[in-house]
Amino acid sequence: MDPLFLACSYFRRRKYQQCVDICTQLLEKNPYDQAAWTLKTRALTGQVYVDEVDVDEEGIAEMMDDNVIANCARPGTSLRLPGTGHGVPSQGVRPMSQSGRPLSGFVRPGTQGGRPGTMEQAIRTPRTAHTARPVTSASGRYVRLGTASMLSTPDGPFINLARLNFSKYATRPNLAKALFEYIFHHENDVRNALELAALATEACQFKDWWWKVQLAKCYFRLGMYRDAEKQLKSALKQQEMVDTFLYLCKVCVRLDQPLLAVEIYKQGLEKFPGEITLLAGMARIYEGMNNMDSAVSYYKDVLRFDNMHVEAIACIATHHFYTDQPEVALKFYRRLLQMGVYNAELFNNLGLCCFYAQQYDMTLNCFERALSLGEEQTLSDVWYNIGHVALGIGDMTLAYQCFRLTLANNNDHPEAYNNLGVLELRKGHVDMARAFFQAAYVIAPHMYEPHYNWAALSDQLGDLQSSYNAAKRAVDAFPNHVDSKELLKQLKHHFSLL
Amino acid sequence: MSATETRSGSTEEKSDKWLDAYRDPVASLYTFTQCITLADIQADGDWKLIIADLGTGMFNMKLKVYKGTNLMSENTIIDLPTGVVTFYMDLNEPRTPAIAVASGPYIYIYKNLRPYFKFTLPQIEVNAVEEDLWNQMKDSSINVYVLREMLEGMRADGTQLTVRSLRFLQLQDGADMVAFAELYKHTPLKKQTVITCLGTMKKSMAEEDAISCLVIGTESKYIYVLDPEAFTVLATRPLPSVPVFLSVTGMFDVEYRIVASCRNGCVYTLKRGTTDTDKSCIELNSQPVGLERIGKTIYVGCMDETLQCFTSKGKKLWTVQVPASITTIEVLDYKNKGLKAVLVALSNCEVHIYKEKYLVDIIKTDSVVTGMRFGRFGREEGALIMTTRGGGLIIKILKRNVVFEERDLIGGPPAAQNVKLNIPKKTKLFVDQTMRERENAVAMHRTFQRDLYLLRLRAAREYAKALDKSMNPISSDPTEPLKLAAQVQGIGPVFKMTVNLQNTSLSQASVNLLITFDFDDKLYNFKKTYIPVPMLVPGLNYSFETFIECLSDKGVSDNVKVYVLKEGKSIPIITGVISMPVSETLVVV
Repeated sequence: MDPLFLACSYFRRRKYQQCVDICTQLLEKNPYDQAAWTLKTRALTGQVYVDEVDVDEEGIAEMMDDNVIANCARPGTSLRLPGTGHGVPSQGVRPMSQSGRPLSGFVRPGTQGGRPGTMEQAIRTPRTAHTARPVTSASGRYVRLGTASMLSTPDGPFINLARLNFSKYATRPNLAKALFEYIFHHENDVRNALELAALATEACQFKDWWWKVQLAKCYFRLGMYRDAEKQLKSALKQQEMVDTFLYLCKVCVRLDQPLLAVEIYKQGLEKFPGEITLLAGMARIYEGMNNMDSAVSYYKDVLRFDNMHVEAIACIATHHFYTDQPEVALKFYRRLLQMGVYNAELFNNLGLCCFYAQQYDMTLNCFERALSLGEEQTLSDVWYNIGHVALGIGDMTLAYQCFRLTLANNNDHPEAYNNLGVLELRKGHVDMARAFFQAAYVIAPHMYEPHYNWAALSDQLGDLQSSYNAAKRAVDAFPNHVDSKELLKQLKHHFSLL
Repeated sequence: MSATETRSGSTEEKSDKWLDAYRDPVASLYTFTQCITLADIQADGDWKLIIADLGTGMFNMKLKVYKGTNLMSENTIIDLPTGVVTFYMDLNEPRTPAIAVASGPYIYIYKNLRPYFKFTLPQIEVNAVEEDLWNQMKDSSINVYVLREMLEGMRADGTQLTVRSLRFLQLQDGADMVAFAELYKHTPLKKQTVITCLGTMKKSMAEEDAISCLVIGTESKYIYVLDPEAFTVLATRPLPSVPVFLSVTGMFDVEYRIVASCRNGCVYTLKRGTTDTDKSCIELNSQPVGLERIGKTIYVGCMDETLQCFTSKGKKLWTVQVPASITTIEVLDYKNKGLKAVLVALSNCEVHIYKEKYLVDIIKTDSVVTGMRFGRFGREEGALIMTTRGGGLIIKILKRNVVFEERDLIGGPPAAQNVKLNIPKKTKLFVDQTMRERENAVAMHRTFQRDLYLLRLRAAREYAKALDKSMNPISSDPTEPLKLAAQVQGIGPVFKMTVNLQNTSLSQASVNLLITFDFDDKLYNFKKTYIPVPMLVPGLNYSFETFIECLSDKGVSDNVKVYVLKEGKSIPIITGVISMPVSETLVVV
């Protein structure tokens, strides 16, 4: 068989390593074999390829950029200041992430750590956590996610970028595109990629939309969002592509213009009706703006076109769970299970839904499975939820053990610390309780519960100053918390009496 | 969301007691409560609004009469008006009342909107020395400088001088003084007083349209009662201070009572036949800004932002603190419903309505209200006329079915109690599941109990394992109650680890402890691998620090364990597991 044909076949079957090996042999025989060279570049790129649209890592350095138009945006127009929202259950019902947004039903880049509003908050985030932010998006995780440049190859790199004559390659579109992707994804060398793209787009008299999108990708990586926007809009004029719409929205989100992004998604949907990536993108933006009603309706639209969309199912299920309809949530999670998702997180959620929907015979079964499937980080959450079930059936010893196990698996679990504190307080161990509450609010200053518990405890112990400070922190974290406000009022009254 | 809605809803609820009849923010009216009155001056059942406009304060003083919202007539007034009242001065048919406008020392009477009569207050005796001085001036026996010096001396002694002398003393230039003296020295010296307040009192009948006397308070600390037909002074009553607000009830020929609040902060009551004013004197602790009477109670608004209420005998009933300074007060007397309340206009653009001492309603306006009159206007019984500081005119009508609830607005159940909660409906799915639960209750319970035992066993095993390995960040050993919290700061390749140790016992100190770390030595380099711990006092937080250097640039990370050990024991008391962040490498982009 012709080795090149075999290599092509391997490439199509995504057996990149075999493909690369054959190409290497071919190139040894004839170093000027363009077909082999292109195939090898594409195979190497394919090994490390990550869809650029879905990678959205915001580093700490990104917080300092001045691309954001309004620093004090009106509520409802910015992702930084999620407004009061529509259809969002209060913080007392649905827990908040650090950025003041309800926890999402689906983990994707940017949902866990959230976007802390201030630099201080970002730095204070316990960087031991799994959600620690890299310093810049240019370094850090991109390196790990999408490049192989760090892995040393025995006989030097495949292509020595420093010795390439970019203007020569730029005029040959068949080579240039593969080479660009290689530089961008495999080498993670955005500057050289940009140079090549700029030359290539010039060589084709600015008529190729593909190069414009690539230029925008480079600009985006370099933090030049306005330039990226210009290129993408120009590309859209030439050829309307779903990908281009998605990139443009990504740029808008980075510029903190969610409403503009929604507008662009709608334009895209006019051109490509029923495109699920566009619908899901819209739903994500509404979710980010705390507009749960709209988010859920778009996720439902997604399901109309693709009833296997995991993210949509998970988000709708979470929404139902937290709006007091666990039985509906249970149906959605079961759907996920039928689709073949089989992991600890899903069983954990199924267990919780079963418990709150009063299907007790299946509850603990689900948790057992979750425990046997889980890894360290998820195990801690599973134990935490079992602890809640134990609280629900009134078994305090089991609850205590569960929360302790949560901490054994994850030392920084603020909710577990808080609940342990409450349990210790019930036992009358005031000092232990104090220590636990303190630990909880140091780890998670965005949670209002430990602040309030600390305040209530200090109030009982007569330490009114700490009580006042803690109650104020609780109100900062959850402005509508009635108990904290009541306590604060009481304390103010007390202070004014003195 | 729902909370804010209810709040805004309740303010709308407050204002729904009033209808907005008319609002003209640029009516260019400059007037006060005393200069507004409502009367049926044409005896056609259509009550007119009569306003004495102070104009600019120097000129353009006008007596304006509004029929409905249209200006019906306008008469120029020569001097600043200080009060307007209407009263019936004769028994002629049709029964048209006359308008009396107090201005300077005069009272101008208008009948059928035409000037009818001018009454001048009796003159006051001129100081003999002053008169003598001006006579000498007339004879030219003294010059203007001597005159000025003498007058200056008299004023310094506290003698009340005439207007002419005061004006003379204001002149600075010698030529001006000579000219002034030459011009006026031949006219006889007169001393006149100024009217400060004006009221009416029925003469001998109590009917609505009975003949009334005018009651006048003056700057010379007198109250005069005028006969309406002959315009002669019926009674002269001295007061200890200058009256500024009057409230009159009763009939002159039978029994009357004049309540006058004065500039010295006292409220005096004058009755027929008594001369002693000091007996029934109410001493306020602040200057009065308004005085009203409802029945036998006297309401006084004071400058110290209080509304005070007294019995007619001078006993204080209550004091209400209002949120801003009072500009004027007015009685709301709605006879249809027998409703009596006090309107208090405040400088924060609100009008509060007090029924007894309870705040029953708040009217919000767009400017500070300076003049108010409640009464019949047009054909409407309960109209409230308000003029604002910006010259605006607002007319509101009290709704006929209005009920002012006599309770504090603050008390009672909160409005949020009536808001319906958004509870989701139970789905069909839920009903189905409940059916299943009902049918298989026993089986479900048994499964649950079995699973629960299994789970308890599993939890206990895991817990014991964790205790064995001391995997917890909190010690479970009662002899060494410790809590550990470790944090890593920095972005790499050098990190700083902070280990916080806290002794959670009540009284027991911890000694002979040390901290050490478990890590991959190919990946990390610890500056200190061993930290001796001093004695830990209960309740305090101790922090220990070390630097960690990441040796790899491959973007990998590992867990690091922190052990707290007791000397002589190989099993750690507590363990903290820290997943290290990925070290940032120098990537050239």
